[in-house]
Amino acid sequence: MVDIKETLDVRGEVCPYPDVKSKRKVKKMNSGEVLQILVDYPLSAERIPETMKSLGHELLSVEKKGDAEWEILVKIK
Amino acid sequence: MELELFLLMLIPGLIVGFIFGFILQRGRFCMNSAFRDIILLKEYKLVKGVALAIGVQMIGFSILILAGAVTQNPKPFTVFGNIIGGFVFGIGMVLAAGCASGTTYRVGEGMVGSFVALIGLGLGAYMTKSGILSSTSTALKTTITDGDGNNLTVAGVATPIVMLIIGIVILGVFAYFHLLPALKNRKEAKESILDFSDMKTKIFKKSYPWWAAGTAIGILNCVAWLSSAAAGRNYPMGITAGWLGWLNFSVTADEAALNWLLFMVAGIILGAFIAALISKEFKLRIPKEGKTLLIQFAGGLIMGFGAVTAAGCNIGNLLSGVPMLSVGSLVTSVFIVLGCWLMAYLLFMRE
Repeated sequence: MVDIKETLDVRGEVCPYPDVKSKRKVKKMNSGEVLQILVDYPLSAERIPETMKSLGHELLSVEKKGDAEWEILVKIK
Repeated sequence: MELELFLLMLIPGLIVGFIFGFILQRGRFCMNSAFRDIILLKEYKLVKGVALAIGVQMIGFSILILAGAVTQNPKPFTVFGNIIGGFVFGIGMVLAAGCASGTTYRVGEGMVGSFVALIGLGLGAYMTKSGILSSTSTALKTTITDGDGNNLTVAGVATPIVMLIIGIVILGVFAYFHLLPALKNRKEAKESILDFSDMKTKIFKKSYPWWAAGTAIGILNCVAWLSSAAAGRNYPMGITAGWLGWLNFSVTADEAALNWLLFMVAGIILGAFIAALISKEFKLRIPKEGKTLLIQFAGGLIMGFGAVTAAGCNIGNLLSGVPMLSVGSLVTSVFIVLGCWLMAYLLFMRE
């Protein structure tokens, strides 16, 4: 079981806030901590994992939780 | 209206729109995202898809024109109409969180904010076309034509040939930088060059890669022009004029407001809805803050003004007009991108 340090719920946010808020959030977190991102916007659900990887963070999982709902787990580098 | 003409608008219009909506949803194909993400996320996939669609259309359109299947019909160059209309449209689409086509397909995904933005778009367009903003919009337009009174294109009489050449160059660049490396990778991994396995999942369940969405939209818009011309409207796809038409028709009940485009835009919502349903991505979603709805509505209104002033939105001008090398469409497109960048910078990039 992963120890989730913080949760960012961007469900209901419009494009591109899920991406912008995720980027801002990981900047404020410490190395080794795990962030859970909840998102309901398809484009961001695909783009956030890619952005996180390109920022050097470790993508732990992307899981579809239901209709238009995804959970993304990221470990901060 | 004759039944036969009505059916020519209704059925092919709905079918083309349905396929367009399906591709837009599966490809997450939104031009607001495409241009904004160049500066915001340094992400170029969607914009490459847009460029590829334009390249495919340059070849397709020029063949249709040279074969005499359609006649050239570039949009006018109205100087400040294109510059200000395009710039304002670009600002509006960032606020609305989607361009004209992006907003339309997201309605089918169940995004209530986009529905509100769409109402704003129709209303803004109507106010600009025939209401209180029409004098302002008209004052911005000084139409410049060539010596014979035709709308200006970059290459004049040679336009279809130049379109064909540029289209081939764009596809050549795509083949060299994307297709060949991709095929080489497959060869080295000992995969078959063409992979038709599991096509059902690829078409109905998975999201489309940028090159697939771009190619499909490019081909579809060629079919769209033929289908639209057969119903008496000599132009490929557009969006704003379609929603303007629905508003006009529902307020005046005037049959003359009906054309192919109205059924095409309705088809987009239907296609995106079915695509979202199949891939389990449909859900009614309401922005967390009420304020967001107001901003999206204002964004829609602003886009409506911009689209009518520039004689077309990101589909009428950028997707359909740029391949025809219309000077008006090219100028509008540049300013749509600049307006988008300014607003994206102001909203998202200042810490």
